[in-house]
Amino acid sequence: MSAQPVERTSTPVLELRDLAVHFGGVRAVDGVSMKLMPGLIYGIIGPNGSGKSTLLGAITRLTRMTRGELLFDGASYAHVPPSRLARLRVARTFQMVRLLPDLNVRANIQIGADSRTTSDDRTGSRPSWFERLRGPAVSPAVVDAIRRTRLGGFESYYPSELSYGTQRRVEVARALAMDPRLLLLDEPTAGMNQSERAEISGLLRDLRDEGLTQLLVEHDVQMMMDTCDYVFAMNSGQLIAEGEPGEVVRNPAVQEAYLGRKWGRDA
Amino acid sequence: MMDFYDSNLVLIQATCTGLILALSIQVPLRMGVFSFAGAGSYGIGAYLAAILVIEQEVSAFVAIGAAMLATAVIGLLLGLLIFKLNGLYLAMATVAFDLIIGVITINGGETTGGSTGLYGVITDFTMGQMFALTVIVLALVALSEVGRTGRRVDAVRDDPELALSMGISLRRYRLTAFVVSGALGGLAGAMNVLVRSAIGPLDIGFGLIVLGLTMIIVGGSRSWKGAVIGAIIFTWLPDILTAIGEWQELVYGIIVALAAVFLPRGIYGVLVDLNKWLRRRRRERRDPPPAVAAEQAGDIDPKPGDVREFALNEETVP
Amino acid sequence: MQDLLSVVTLGSIYLLFALGMSLTWGTIDILNFGHGAIFMFSSFTAYLVLQQTELGLPLIVLLGLVVGALMSLLIQVLAFEQIIKRAKDKRTAEMQILIGGIGVAIIPLAIAQHHTKSNPFGFSSSTFTVDTWTMGDLRITNIAALSIVVALVLWVAAAVWLRRSRQGLALRSIGVDAETAALMGIDRRKMALVTMAVSGGMAGLSGVLFTFGLGAITAESGDTLLVKAFACIILGGVGSMLGVAFGAFFLAAAETVVLTQTSGSWVEAVSFGLIFLVLLFRPSGVFGRADVRRT
Repeated sequence: MSAQPVERTSTPVLELRDLAVHFGGVRAVDGVSMKLMPGLIYGIIGPNGSGKSTLLGAITRLTRMTRGELLFDGASYAHVPPSRLARLRVARTFQMVRLLPDLNVRANIQIGADSRTTSDDRTGSRPSWFERLRGPAVSPAVVDAIRRTRLGGFESYYPSELSYGTQRRVEVARALAMDPRLLLLDEPTAGMNQSERAEISGLLRDLRDEGLTQLLVEHDVQMMMDTCDYVFAMNSGQLIAEGEPGEVVRNPAVQEAYLGRKWGRDA
Repeated sequence: MMDFYDSNLVLIQATCTGLILALSIQVPLRMGVFSFAGAGSYGIGAYLAAILVIEQEVSAFVAIGAAMLATAVIGLLLGLLIFKLNGLYLAMATVAFDLIIGVITINGGETTGGSTGLYGVITDFTMGQMFALTVIVLALVALSEVGRTGRRVDAVRDDPELALSMGISLRRYRLTAFVVSGALGGLAGAMNVLVRSAIGPLDIGFGLIVLGLTMIIVGGSRSWKGAVIGAIIFTWLPDILTAIGEWQELVYGIIVALAAVFLPRGIYGVLVDLNKWLRRRRRERRDPPPAVAAEQAGDIDPKPGDVREFALNEETVP
Repeated sequence: MQDLLSVVTLGSIYLLFALGMSLTWGTIDILNFGHGAIFMFSSFTAYLVLQQTELGLPLIVLLGLVVGALMSLLIQVLAFEQIIKRAKDKRTAEMQILIGGIGVAIIPLAIAQHHTKSNPFGFSSSTFTVDTWTMGDLRITNIAALSIVVALVLWVAAAVWLRRSRQGLALRSIGVDAETAALMGIDRRKMALVTMAVSGGMAGLSGVLFTFGLGAITAESGDTLLVKAFACIILGGVGSMLGVAFGAFFLAAAETVVLTQTSGSWVEAVSFGLIFLVLLFRPSGVFGRADVRRT
């Protein structure tokens, strides 16, 4: 069903097959299939309550799925515990900002890098138990994430001392510090002003050019059109359209899902 | 100095055991595990060490080691049984565990000495060894509060879901909390019986839970320093309050109640907040925070949703 | 038969005590660990008053009721409301209420212990005397009969109140969903105060009746009952009125069996063991609604 740009690598980074999440009688996600090819930015748009965030929850295994199959690099991970996902280098941000109040910005970002120090590290040598307990003071990944999200100068601030937009950037930085192969972003620009949004959009495109696959949930369609290579539209837990961003936005079903509601309220 | 030491030996000993008891409740609490099982482990450790010394005449070292090993294993088993419970339910299950230990010691016949308990537990245990053990425990606990482990413990407590997505196994941390709590409780109990040479059911009742808890609540629940503050206050306060006279228990009660209601992070938490505030003041005076620059750069929309839908309208409505 | 009667008597005391705790826990999410202190201190106040003047049974019962309700209101306003105001989320609030209740309870306990030197105290100077009535081979004291009647009446009253009345409806909706309740225009603060007063009154009442029934209690009596009441509530299921009655009588029966069948003092372990087993195998209790299960 996918008309994706044909890449040399034929294995998708992430593949969902007929994924469903039901809460009692509520079908939050109801039979969604999608393939994410490496090195592209994918977006999911849809009105509130269309199941976007639930879908991210299921992909990251935090939300129990009712049926379906999840594959990462072609291998099923539908039964892998959520804490193992970091080892596959799947990183995510949350819809609500979730920073740890007692840690400063640097330490909050360092948690992301911490997830990389137990598994096959880039250094090659397995760290001793003491090093694992202690962790590095500041990882290069953290320095890099701080630079890319332009958080320099904020390192010793606590989350409660930051504006909402800046807090969101810390979230993105924490995910980047995990050195992800797949980055899932749940409304990364909510609460940001226009210039901050453009900045994040630029950052995500830079990361894409370096080969990072991303899945972005937003309802800011302008942001999606600027950023994404390929967009899925969801309504009532199902995919109603997919394709090039411009194409999907002009799709009558998508317009109805968004605007039918909007017109009904304005009329 | 030596005079002070000699005349207050009992209080100094009680500070050490009280501190480790407090840590046995604080360590799981810091990982978001609301378990009082440390008090039960204290009872097990004390009785086990006493029985080993009386019946097998083992050395203090062996008695303490055996007590810690046993309570760590019991902690693990208890954890495997109940680590899925949350919040109040976990707290009450562990209270029940503690009280059951108390009933068992009363009904243990000659082995536990019934309601009079065991006495004559005399070994070669010295104050130097006690201090050494206390310092080692403190150092290990302090190590778990810094660096990678410290960050991960914070994540497990404050946001379990976030911790999972950062690759932290909640199950492993929670079980560790039970094991460490068990070992620390066992150590506190064993050391106590070795210095006091006696143990009875009255020493390990509901009051022990309240004592450990009040030390943490008043001292501070997020750091070993809080436990130290609490242990010192509640070991020495009753002694100092005798000066206040016959109402010492009332004053004690009022302090605990006030701390529980108004200082949920304890005295140490107040110090930390104060330090944070001072640092911010100093920083703001030195140079304006970058946050101001960011906020002046553009209007931050207070309700993101509106702007998003507006953006869609502009794009799609002809 | 006599055993059954003593089970019913013991169960009534448990029910009377646990009823108030269950009411606040099931509706306004307050597991009040000061409940045992209210129980004890109401009785202690009655004891103090009785040393000054002679009172009959109705006045003593009334005194216990009023003192209990006032103490409960005081704890709610001075401690629990402050905690809820400061807590960042519901989970921390629950924990701090538990800890705050333990903390607050130390104060009345310290006063009573100081005054009685931890010796038992009773109502020996009241004008009321305990008689034993005999019916066939059954013997029952007038105070035991009174306890049973009062417990059953209050239990039915609480259940009917929760089910029928506007206030009861409001309370139940708070217990199920605080936000919806707020949308319905329910004044949470007022409802919480009423509930705490009712709950405290029940604790005071049970304290006085318990002291009459036993002859004397000690300052520490509240602590043990607290854990037993917790066992009754979770066995039946938090928020269920039928459940708390089932829990109370089940616990009384189990304790009586253990008391008559075993030697030693294993009877105390029954409630603790029960808590453990219920939490392991059926945390929502026998009559618990799965949707109110607080895990």
